[in-house]
Amino acid sequence: MIRSLEDFTRLAQERGPKELAVLAPEDEEFMKAVKMSWERGYIEPVLIGDIKKMEAAAEKVSFHIDRFKKISRTGQQAISDLGISMLFSGKIPIASKGQIPTSYIYRSIIREEAKADSGMTVSVISFWDIPGIDHLMAFTDTGVNIKPDIKTKAEIIKNAVFVFHLMGYPKPKIAVLSGQREVGGMLASYKDYEVLKKTADAGGFGACEFVAATSFTEIFLGAGHSDIKRDGIPHILVVPCLDTGNILCKLDFFLDVTRSSLVATSRGPVCIPARSDFSDNIVQQLAMCVVLAAEMKKEIN
Amino acid sequence: MSNSFNDILDMARQGEAKRMIVSAPVPADILLLEEASAAGLIFPCFVGDGKTIRSLIKGTPMTAGKYELVEENDSGQILAKALDVFHSSGDILLQGGIPAQEFLNSLQDKDHGMITRGGLVSFVSVFSFSKQEKLILLTDTFINNHPTLVKKQQILSNVLQLARTLGIAEPKTAVLAAIEQVNPKIPSTLDAAILSKMAERKQFQQAIVEGPLDIDCTLSQLAAERKGVKSSVTGNADIYLVPEIDTGYLLAEALVFFGGMRMAGVVMGTVKPVILHLPFVSRRDGIVEIALACLLSGKGGKNG
Repeated sequence: MIRSLEDFTRLAQERGPKELAVLAPEDEEFMKAVKMSWERGYIEPVLIGDIKKMEAAAEKVSFHIDRFKKISRTGQQAISDLGISMLFSGKIPIASKGQIPTSYIYRSIIREEAKADSGMTVSVISFWDIPGIDHLMAFTDTGVNIKPDIKTKAEIIKNAVFVFHLMGYPKPKIAVLSGQREVGGMLASYKDYEVLKKTADAGGFGACEFVAATSFTEIFLGAGHSDIKRDGIPHILVVPCLDTGNILCKLDFFLDVTRSSLVATSRGPVCIPARSDFSDNIVQQLAMCVVLAAEMKKEIN
Repeated sequence: MSNSFNDILDMARQGEAKRMIVSAPVPADILLLEEASAAGLIFPCFVGDGKTIRSLIKGTPMTAGKYELVEENDSGQILAKALDVFHSSGDILLQGGIPAQEFLNSLQDKDHGMITRGGLVSFVSVFSFSKQEKLILLTDTFINNHPTLVKKQQILSNVLQLARTLGIAEPKTAVLAAIEQVNPKIPSTLDAAILSKMAERKQFQQAIVEGPLDIDCTLSQLAAERKGVKSSVTGNADIYLVPEIDTGYLLAEALVFFGGMRMAGVVMGTVKPVILHLPFVSRRDGIVEIALACLLSGKGGKNG
């Protein structure tokens, strides 16, 4: 079972190197992350973007990129489309974004999923490694669906359960979050929780367990507000909407937790470091994608 | 300027004791009020069933002469009576044992005249920031579910009033959204951009309002620079305005439970300060909530 982000980095060394399409590593921080990941044996990069910009970024971090495959492309959407199509056609097992807005990557992925007729809802899973808690916890969807309806939330849950199964959690615990509290009437997010819980109880999400809590007060203090139940912290936290998800998951800028995010696609993980992430954090996220791509391949074979 | 909960307590202690009306007190209230009373912040006035209240007080350090009792033996009338007393002679109102929704409904009932003219009742979570010597005001974290732009304007005005009470001359506000760019498909980014523009035109007086801002740009100036956002708010916001309640309530809870941060709540938009109890505010910070209410109540109490 993968319990921490460190487990991912350890395993990435065993499972790597994997070929990785890097989309526009035209920024020092990203290029530095590519360099570090290659040196550690996680990846074999295929660099896609403006060659001059990539070379300039590489030079700044003393990284010799002559030995790697480079594909010249300009324009953020064109770069993204090419990298993602390589993932979907099976030419490479993982793709990662560089310094371009994630919306371009989502667009490319959604188009490829439609072409492949996979029926897959694209969603982002953001893991937190929290000191003192002996498993990873993930928020989802933190990136794609602005205001997911109940059907989309069900697909978002399925994606996260699939990933946690890959990580060796046979029955991940799920909490559907809501701002439901003692005032303000019933929120739409709480109604969603009630419907999703019924689906889960009927086995609709496979092997998993829904917790009867929608707030952190209930998760930490339980119904009696007595003691912190740290062992009861769920694995998957389903957020009500994009605003909530994105704001909560990036609290790592503030709290003593480490974040690592990926996009779940039908063809494997896509690494989507935030444009504000730093190289150590990006390396961490690449390691996670390398391991999950390997696990997914095992699962399919 | 207040930078910490201790500063708030020190500032409040400089004022005169306020007359605090407590509707149907519960055991936890008695201990807290005794502490606040000993600190010279308040003089409590309990409203409720006389026998119940006397037995609650028995065995606590709260002694005769340190409180006032207004008897109302009809449990259905306690809140109405407390509001009457508050209206006529109180400085601060404490929820006590009245259920939160019932308490809020009464405050918001126009007949009771508890809301400022044309105003809106909103809730601010005040956090003692662990990484800097700084207070952060997060709103709305409890009362308004999905505020419209008009309501967000009022929520912002309310929190700015609190910031100024705390001595922040030109409060810096981050209007939060999922992303820092204006995206017509994400309504929170539009509201944020409009509020930001309104502030630029001085519609909120001396205040810097930046939005939309995602949380990384809000928390880290370096992160903001890498995303090309240049603002004096990034990495240094005093106020965080959230898009709706799912985000507000969960964010406040996350800071408490994952960040171990201390929180005190403030109700804004009422004619006189009101204190509402939230399940995740620790008892030791109840005194900070009282101190904040004292500061909002201004100079000169009824029991000085």
